[in-house]
Amino acid sequence: MNKIIFFILLLSSSNIYSQRFITKEAEISFFSEAPIEDISAVNNKVSAVYDDETKQLVFQLNISDFSFPKALMQEHFNESYLESDKFPKALFSGIIEGKNKSIVAIGTLKIHGESNKVKVTGILEKTKNSVIINATFVIELTDYKIKIPKLVMYNIAEEIEVTVNAELKKI
Amino acid sequence: MKRILLISLFCQFTVFAQDDLLKLLGDDTNYKISYTFKGVKIVNGQSVELVSKGDLLFLIQHRFGTLNSGGYNLYGLDNSQVRFGLDYGVNDWVSIGLGRSSFLKTIDANSKIKLVSQINGKDAFPFSLVWYSSVFFKQSIWADMQKESYFVTDQMSYAHQVLIARKMNSNLSIQLSPTLIHKNVVIEGDLHDLLSVGFGSRYKLVSRVSVNAEYFLQFNEGTTINPLSVGVDIETGGHIFQLHFSNSAAMFERSFIHETNGNWLDGDIYFGFNISRVFTINK
Repeated sequence: MNKIIFFILLLSSSNIYSQRFITKEAEISFFSEAPIEDISAVNNKVSAVYDDETKQLVFQLNISDFSFPKALMQEHFNESYLESDKFPKALFSGIIEGKNKSIVAIGTLKIHGESNKVKVTGILEKTKNSVIINATFVIELTDYKIKIPKLVMYNIAEEIEVTVNAELKKI
Repeated sequence: MKRILLISLFCQFTVFAQDDLLKLLGDDTNYKISYTFKGVKIVNGQSVELVSKGDLLFLIQHRFGTLNSGGYNLYGLDNSQVRFGLDYGVNDWVSIGLGRSSFLKTIDANSKIKLVSQINGKDAFPFSLVWYSSVFFKQSIWADMQKESYFVTDQMSYAHQVLIARKMNSNLSIQLSPTLIHKNVVIEGDLHDLLSVGFGSRYKLVSRVSVNAEYFLQFNEGTTINPLSVGVDIETGGHIFQLHFSNSAAMFERSFIHETNGNWLDGDIYFGFNISRVFTINK
């Protein structure tokens, strides 16, 4: 009896592992309309894990991995806005809700050392060996205490549109 | 048996925890340390910063006369030396530059090569390493060029530097700059090769303003004075304004390291500024 339960538990826990999906090459980009010049950047070194059993989802990225069309924008982004020396990472962790492809991710988004509860709608497609996640959402800079310096060439908007494209592979 | 069940259940719970998912991602990241200094120059000397790939940097450098030159000369502001420079980022680790100083009417052509970047994280490396070489050409007047004893190469001298810098934290950066200067022609008895080492630092007061200091220690015996400069960097996005005081009026390595005669204690201090503007010409 003892052994049987133990075995079942063992089996079930290995089952949990098999429901996990991971990537280290997800893509997150953002876009902001600005009077002089639109600001955009892309990061394709984003890590993500999804557990289909518990519906838990985690995204993690390095701020300094965002690549901009202009080097000066990148410098200001890291040095003045996001302060990537002090806050090198951004993190989302939450739970996925919804049964079909359209899902809602509810959780905490931490950027610039500030955590906020967020609710993001997106699309999650599952195949046998992979999970594809796509989402677009808007973040407010003030929520994350990202200050826009007064003396800047690139006057940026308070709202930034973020796009997520990830393909996670089964572990 | 119940205990086993409980423990197993508990174990499963921890498996579910978010920390565990994070652990799966691992933390094998390397952070390449950038922006050790604001500008490509600390004051007169080079910093480990290169112009970014595809960017063209236009640099205007100005040094007025000495502060102790009296009210008649408006404390030095009546006189000035200027250097114009253009630097271009060929790729992520090579930049080339061209400049012209009114001091000794000298043209300089230089190149900077980033050898290693400072890295924090898994494969940490403690400092950035940059090679800098420059060739200086002193312009001559036509009458001199007609002389039989005139050789173009006689007008040339060279500087080679290894720039070693470490960003201690987001505010403080320090740099060591071992330097070799070679002069093709010298006055009899003088050395062709001169060694020195530069010490540089910057401290960020707020995100766009820093104080900088720079000193070069000459290893050769001589009558010239070691150059000491202190200044402030103000960055306004696109432009960097560097305002400083120095006992040297020259703005290229050969002269500001080994041909400085001003003495800080006597008030032989030159006020000056560097203004740089960056243009992205190749995305």
